[in-house]
Amino acid sequence: MTNSLAQEAGIQPAAVGITQAFEAAVREHQAMVYSVVYHFLQDRSAAEELAQEVFLELFRHWHEIESRAHRVYWLRKVASRKCIDQTRRRKFRNHVSLEETPEPFTWMPATDPLLKRYIEQLLGKLQDVPRMIVILRYQEGLEPAEISELLEMPVATVKSHLQRSLALLRKKLSFVSPEEKP
Amino acid sequence: MTDFEDQLRRAFERQEPSADFADRVVARASRPVKVAMYRYGRKWLSSAIAAALIVALGGGYAWERHRQGEEARAQLIQAMEITSSKLEKIHKKVQGALR
Repeated sequence: MTNSLAQEAGIQPAAVGITQAFEAAVREHQAMVYSVVYHFLQDRSAAEELAQEVFLELFRHWHEIESRAHRVYWLRKVASRKCIDQTRRRKFRNHVSLEETPEPFTWMPATDPLLKRYIEQLLGKLQDVPRMIVILRYQEGLEPAEISELLEMPVATVKSHLQRSLALLRKKLSFVSPEEKP
Repeated sequence: MTDFEDQLRRAFERQEPSADFADRVVARASRPVKVAMYRYGRKWLSSAIAAALIVALGGGYAWERHRQGEEARAQLIQAMEITSSKLEKIHKKVQGALR
């Protein structure tokens, strides 16, 4: 038997207003939603604004949510869709392509915050859909089949975008894996 | 899992938004009905004003057309009456000349 979260909490958010259940859900998932949006937009204030929109939409659809897993799925789906929509609407896209981005001068250790920032910048050069696929794969740890369901596209397309994006990122990062090292 | 993918995972670790993020979301969620009513109210009011303007302008235009039509009709009747009277006079003169 599936109950909505509002029913589980014995409340009707639309009628009562702010609920403890909703606030708990925001606190539980804010890092996930904010990070998906931030890694996509690369702008902290725009990311907070859009993440808020995602949670407000969750509030409006509160009665449709059947379980915690459904809520996580729903938030990822809505966050992805809103990011891609916003990029298309506002031309939020960067003008420099990944191929045109200069490589770093030297090899940097994996934990270097500069390298982390460089990877984020490289990600920002990807087109909207491949960028979201990389975020869902490496931030959220989703499998290609799960990403294809979220973004409503064939698994083969997801895998193809992923392979192409990783090849570009790998080339730009000049990464040498331990087994490739002399 | 390659080191490269590990690197990406570390780069894309989740981050927390600002400390008051949840409070701001909840605060915004607490006033959706009011905001929605205000928005819908404004939308309805704008639509009603627009509809009233269209009706008023349309009515005014139709009335003006009707008035112009009436005026033209009256002028036409008057012109026909004058023409008729002139023709009558000419007819009488022609008849008199023939006799």
